[in-house]
Amino acid sequence: MLNIIKCRTYMAGLLMAGLFASCEKDEYKIPDPISTITSDGIKRTLGPNIVSLPIEFVYAMAIPKSIGKIASAEVQASIPGATGTYLEHRSYYTNTSGVDVPVTVGSPSVTTGNSTKVTFSVDTNAASLRYFYIVPQEAMGKQVSFTFTATGSDGKTATYKMGPYDVSKMEIKKGLAVSNNNMAFISIADMAVYNAASAASNAANIDLVYLYRTTPVAFTHGLVAPAADPAYLPGVTLPAGVSNNSKILKVWNLQDRNLAGLQFGIYVDDKDFQQVDLTTASNFATGLRAEAGVWVETADKKFRAYVFINSVNVNGSAVVSMLRYNMTTK
Amino acid sequence: MKSIKNTILYAILLLAAFASACKKDLPVDEDGLLITTRAECFVSNFELLGTDFITVRNGVPIIDTVAQTIDVTVNFGTDLKNLYPQFTLASDCKLDPKIVGKVDFSDLANPKTYTVVSGNRKVRKAYKIIVKVQ
Repeated sequence: MLNIIKCRTYMAGLLMAGLFASCEKDEYKIPDPISTITSDGIKRTLGPNIVSLPIEFVYAMAIPKSIGKIASAEVQASIPGATGTYLEHRSYYTNTSGVDVPVTVGSPSVTTGNSTKVTFSVDTNAASLRYFYIVPQEAMGKQVSFTFTATGSDGKTATYKMGPYDVSKMEIKKGLAVSNNNMAFISIADMAVYNAASAASNAANIDLVYLYRTTPVAFTHGLVAPAADPAYLPGVTLPAGVSNNSKILKVWNLQDRNLAGLQFGIYVDDKDFQQVDLTTASNFATGLRAEAGVWVETADKKFRAYVFINSVNVNGSAVVSMLRYNMTTK
Repeated sequence: MKSIKNTILYAILLLAAFASACKKDLPVDEDGLLITTRAECFVSNFELLGTDFITVRNGVPIIDTVAQTIDVTVNFGTDLKNLYPQFTLASDCKLDPKIVGKVDFSDLANPKTYTVVSGNRKVRKAYKIIVKVQ
């Protein structure tokens, strides 16, 4: 009985304490104002980082008016960017219509080695600059990281590190025009299209033949290995030595964003090349249309490629783009 | 009074237990599917998809439920080694063997056979898939 009474008293005490505590009002504390230059960044590019394509960042910086103005912005990449790498000298804001409006804040960027710098020429306290890093060949299969630095007129700096980011082992080639009985010989090894004469001198590298046939009706646009059954190469005279037996797997609804001209939200990545099962794949694909694609494995198994059909024309031509993955490099 | 209430409660619980024990569960087969009383056993529709998951059929398939054959003509250029067959079956039926991925239909001289098993698992009908290329 005594224990019950003790327990009740204890509970009542706790309740009272709780009531008092809940009545206590926290005083609002004004945060300390930022008294120096600061910066922040985001990576805008989604999907794999591919050699020759840009990786886009936005670097934002601000300095209190009482301290001074922004003097310069600089990016250092761990691997120097390829030609075309630049830091915007215009700061963008989005207007009420959702349109990005540029405001020039400095002179065009200057790239020296792995550093790209914009020197500000206007009196501004805040800016957000875009940085386009063109992935260089030497970065393939490696990691790349970036150090963004903003310098204020007081000489102080703010630094923001981004990465490391994996660079894909894929290579890309866009907009290859193929045509029936002319530019019909596609090389994955060279990532190029040849006519019959050129194909003969590159015979070992010809992996696909493009052809267009109206009969049978289902044939239309085809990508066929030179060693395929002649029934799939009607009327085609192969140049001397063109005889590779590539594996071909037809797919649909795989519109890689990079291949499809920045449409769609699908990306083919290194892992897709590693995992696609081509063991039972055939050596021909007919009935192809725009936005279709084929996985290809070269006869020597050195390369795998994803060939995307950008557009087709009933006069017997098409535009294709390809991503290629070297299966032999680690 | 309290003991009477308890007695009634226990009696109800006991009755419920008896009732549930008397209920006979429907049997399930080795795949965990219900074995029902249905004896219907046939294919009502058939589809063949290519590696791009688009139909490769040229025209509608001819399903003969008496001869137990499915005649399907596929487009010229169909990759017969990598096809995905799809069956529509009568209610509660299942297919043997199961389709778990790509199927090789390239041996045209020896058509593939799939057996339809009825809902009561007592009727089995083997359908021959006869593929012709356009």
